[in-house]
Amino acid sequence: MWDGIFTGLETAVAPFNLMMVVVGCFAGTFIGMLPGLGPISAVALMIPITYGLDPASGIILMAGVYYGAVFGGSTSSILINAPGCASTVVTAFDGYPLAQKGQAGKALALAAYCSFTGGTIGALILLVAAPALATVSLSFQSSDYFALMVLGLTAVAAFSGKGQVLKALAMTVFGLMIATVGTDAISGIPRFTFGNIDLIDGISFLLLAMATFALAEVVMSVLKGNHRVEDAPMDMSSLGSMKLSKEEVKNIAPTATRSSLFGFLVGVLPGAGATIAAFLAYGVERNLSPRAIKDKFGKGALRGLAAPEAANNAASTGSFVPLLTLGIPGSGTTAIMLGALIAYGIQPGPRLFVDNPDVFWSVIISMYFGNLVLLILNLPLIPYISRLLVIPKPILIPLILFFSITGVYLVSFNSFDIELMAIITIIALLLRLLNFPMAPMLLGFILGGMFENNLSRALIISDGSLAFIWQRPLTLLIMCLAVVVLLMPVIGRFVGWRRLQGKASMMVADKGEG
Amino acid sequence: MTITKDHIGGLLFLGLSVVYGYYAYDIRMFPGDQFEPFNAQTVPVALAWIGSIIAILMLATASKHSADRLTFVGLDLALVAKLMLLVWLFAQALQWLGFLLSTIGFLLVGYWLLGERRLKTLLLASVPFALLFWFLLAQVLAIYLAPGRIWQWLLGV
Repeated sequence: MWDGIFTGLETAVAPFNLMMVVVGCFAGTFIGMLPGLGPISAVALMIPITYGLDPASGIILMAGVYYGAVFGGSTSSILINAPGCASTVVTAFDGYPLAQKGQAGKALALAAYCSFTGGTIGALILLVAAPALATVSLSFQSSDYFALMVLGLTAVAAFSGKGQVLKALAMTVFGLMIATVGTDAISGIPRFTFGNIDLIDGISFLLLAMATFALAEVVMSVLKGNHRVEDAPMDMSSLGSMKLSKEEVKNIAPTATRSSLFGFLVGVLPGAGATIAAFLAYGVERNLSPRAIKDKFGKGALRGLAAPEAANNAASTGSFVPLLTLGIPGSGTTAIMLGALIAYGIQPGPRLFVDNPDVFWSVIISMYFGNLVLLILNLPLIPYISRLLVIPKPILIPLILFFSITGVYLVSFNSFDIELMAIITIIALLLRLLNFPMAPMLLGFILGGMFENNLSRALIISDGSLAFIWQRPLTLLIMCLAVVVLLMPVIGRFVGWRRLQGKASMMVADKGEG
Repeated sequence: MTITKDHIGGLLFLGLSVVYGYYAYDIRMFPGDQFEPFNAQTVPVALAWIGSIIAILMLATASKHSADRLTFVGLDLALVAKLMLLVWLFAQALQWLGFLLSTIGFLLVGYWLLGERRLKTLLLASVPFALLFWFLLAQVLAIYLAPGRIWQWLLGV
């Protein structure tokens, strides 16, 4: 393990890779600050650039952008009450009231310190947990992998929120369907190409990611007329002091530590991600706080800002665990990174630890550097980076559109891809209007190839019998977990219904007695 | 009966699954492949069935609240249609006019569509940007950008 860590350290401290961390954090912070554009879009926009780099540098850049975007989202949440992404919505609950009280500087500093704490604790656990899990998963067979894919895909649907489970499942299946377009990797037979040569290679992952996130996100804001709405002006001169008193640090330290550990654990769960971690950490911290502090939540409580910030950064790190060790992304952003790694010819999973130790370890180590960069460089520069936001939206939107389109075009040099992007964007817009989540589709699409390969291998080994599901205890265990995860929303609904029934019968009994 | 977003989504997905399933059974196979435990049709056929079942469940459990109806009120559909048309035109222009002119045109029309009317801003935000971007790609990074068919015809380059 130490050899690996040193290899990773050597790769991560290479001047070019250090520069990638810094550039990634800056670019991510800027993109993350733009309301509506979250880490998924930020990472998607970076993919074309990373194609020209070596795998370690590329993935380091994307990890930096990921962190930067989460941090940028927090900044716009605090300063203008416009969260850049879903995971920083909770940050605005207490961050914006603090800014309104003239303590924006303190809120930004606190967000950065807590993000740093979350990221550091997350990176340290990842340093220990990832290799251990990777060693265990080396013994996995194709049937186990197939079961893991099923678990990953169902978990994403299960964590997608109330009333969204079926829609998320439908989108996962839609993603798997899109993955079948093109030449079948096993038999070499073209499928769903309708005689179109441009579809023989299938639909590119980059194209799909750009069209459904970066492009659709921007066009959606145009559709809602957001480009006509002026953001609240930011008065950078009245940020206030960025210093925290000893008392405040003492008060917040346990919150940040608790939320980091909690966030990491939630982040590891496939599909849960930073948003759920931030909301849960906020709720937990509110319940744990004494009455006097509890009443301050939502009105500018420092704990209310510290909890989601530590949790969402730790969760971002945690989501790398299933990606690096099992090859299954834990969130939409890591799904995009998985696609990028596959494009490099690197197969994330337990073999990554053995075959590409430089990529594996340098990603983990550069995550820590990323947090450091955010704290040391980004925080003092926030007033200057924020000035970029004054670019009027009628100028900014066509530029983002242009970067999204050319990002795809400059990889394939095929204008058909741009036409296909426009079509997919329109479909994505319609699906968004119908409240369909997009991340499960991307996950289904990325896992589609592996899903089919592992299923075919498992079926061929077991001579066409589905017995492989219950013959290996590990496969059976993972499949059972997938079933439980899938049934969780139904069980939750049933429990809620029983509780309501119980309350209703008690009320009837009380009335009868009265 | 109120037709809600859930109903429309369920119906769309059912339609998609049926059409996908129809073409899945149409996938050609090598002789004898149909007797193999796994062939090119296995996963698509399974997906079509799973998709249909999910769609039926979506329809069965769809919300019936009128608040969940699909509404286009307040949405600028015309502007989005224009922007998508612009993207399509950009794809065509890349083949005919080349990268530089297409980029300038795309940005100019894009800014204008989104409400920017000041000529100075329109030109300053498009021409220098496109020139700089083209220079970066073609001269610094040495990426070959096709000059466009019209120039090939006119100038023979």
